[in-house]
Amino acid sequence: MLTLDQVYCGYDSEDVIRNVSFRVKEGDILCLLGPNGCGKTTLLKAIAGLLPYKGHLRWLGQEIHTLKRNQLAAGIALMSQISETYFEYSVYDTVMLGRYLHGKKGFLPSISDEDRVMVRKALEEVELWREREHPITQLSGGQLQRVFLARTFVQEPKLILLDEPTNHLDLKYQLELMERLSVWSKQPGRAVIGVFHDLNLAMQFAEKVIILDQGQVVLQGPTGQVLQDSMISKVFDVDVLNYMQSSLKKWLPPLEGNDSR
Amino acid sequence: MKNSSKLGGMITLSLLCFLAAACIGSVAIPAKEALAVIAQRLFGISLLRDVEPLTQTIVWDLRLARASLAFLVGASLAVSGTVMQSVLRNPLASSYTLGVSSGASLGAALIIISGFSLPIVGAFTLPLAGLLTGLLTVYLAVAMASRVDKGFSGNTIVLTGMVFTLFVNALLTLVAYFFPNRTRHILLWQMGSFALKDWGTVRVLLPIAIVGLLFLMRYARELDMLTFGEEQAAVMGVETRRVKWILMFLAAALTGSAVSFAGVIGFIDLISPHVVRRWVGAAHRWVLPLSALFGGSFMVLADIVARTVISPTELPVGAITALLGGPFFLYVYFQKRRRY
Repeated sequence: MLTLDQVYCGYDSEDVIRNVSFRVKEGDILCLLGPNGCGKTTLLKAIAGLLPYKGHLRWLGQEIHTLKRNQLAAGIALMSQISETYFEYSVYDTVMLGRYLHGKKGFLPSISDEDRVMVRKALEEVELWREREHPITQLSGGQLQRVFLARTFVQEPKLILLDEPTNHLDLKYQLELMERLSVWSKQPGRAVIGVFHDLNLAMQFAEKVIILDQGQVVLQGPTGQVLQDSMISKVFDVDVLNYMQSSLKKWLPPLEGNDSR
Repeated sequence: MKNSSKLGGMITLSLLCFLAAACIGSVAIPAKEALAVIAQRLFGISLLRDVEPLTQTIVWDLRLARASLAFLVGASLAVSGTVMQSVLRNPLASSYTLGVSSGASLGAALIIISGFSLPIVGAFTLPLAGLLTGLLTVYLAVAMASRVDKGFSGNTIVLTGMVFTLFVNALLTLVAYFFPNRTRHILLWQMGSFALKDWGTVRVLLPIAIVGLLFLMRYARELDMLTFGEEQAAVMGVETRRVKWILMFLAAALTGSAVSFAGVIGFIDLISPHVVRRWVGAAHRWVLPLSALFGGSFMVLADIVARTVISPTELPVGAITALLGGPFFLYVYFQKRRRY
């Protein structure tokens, strides 16, 4: 579906992403990992067609920069980190915006019954149907995240790009979101690329992992192979085993016979 | 209450404002007679037999022509303000921020001091010059902003617009300084007035306002998406750069036309979208038509006050919009806020 071949991109002629190559196939849930500032969000933006790039970045065989915005949006949706909004859109109207490309064609915009059905289904899935008339300016961060997720689903893309989607979500919704994405991506012609900070979630749901460091791919492959203690320690500059052991010691009761008192 | 009912309510209120404009003035005219004149002129129906010709002239040719122009100007300014606030994601933005009014004022001032008149358009030379220089100022501001900032962000456009406004205002001050005998004329034009306007002016502005509003309604969803930021709009399929240019041109053309016929009238474009958003939410398919109706009605009421409060002398309507609009805006804004 998506091919990156020696891709370079960034801002103001300075490359943040350097020589990145990988492929995404149908059904993939791919996780981008790496320390802050390593270029994960920049890479997602390039895939979404928001940044110019060098090299080859192809969606269904066509270079992304040659596609029009509506062609790209019909295939790829980006759910970015929560953006500030000054205007009091209702939850329903916000999700309905995701139907932009599917709306009835005419001089004035109109909403079809299919649009209404899709929006209702998406809002029920994220458990916000009852709050549909609430202004989004009054929602919590987690609720807003779920609104944007519903909007992403009603766009009916083939590839969903997620930039730290579990931020602001409590544990229940984090797990539900990942389950939903898992089910969604298993339908024909679909895939997910996500930037996650939570390594546990990444290990549980992603089948492939790409680790970026300073804009370059340092490792990619199946999740189990890539997410080894030594690699995490190297990239994130933390001693994972030591950290985990000290956390466990703090909270778990001492084993019988090992008490030194 | 559903938004469609609110729209119906606002249309009724607008019609009542027109009726008030027809009845209130130095000569009070009963509503029955005013309605009879309107029915006669619009539909050829004779409701009353003995309406004097003078009453007919006052209601139709003087008051309703003036009220119609006030309504169109108010509606154009309000819609234009709505669009600018959404496109630039700045609740304080308006076409004025981008230099429409200062550009139009400079163009008008140059026509006033030179006494220049185009052969075919004649009396419309002044508004035409105002419109074109207003549009030119916005074009230069936006073109400059897009060169400086390839991302074409709202803040850059607002900042560049403000710099252009200050620059053009400085030129205007110089013009006024070097031609002191024309200063009063320029100042009066800038204050805004609907005095001595007839149906001819309405006929010129009406198609511009209708076409502008219809095209903006076509872009209602794009406007919604742009309020969430350009990146979000782009990933949902909006050609943001092209759409922003179109929307800003339409908004500037609406303000430019309104300003060029009535002079500079502030505040309507700022308050109307805020008041309407508080009432019906932010979706532009409702905000645009309701802003037009609210802005138009508000302007008609402001003009009634301007021409009656110290009759027979008229006050500048721009001062009235700010005097009435300021406290009203604060009331609406904080009244709603207290509920949350």
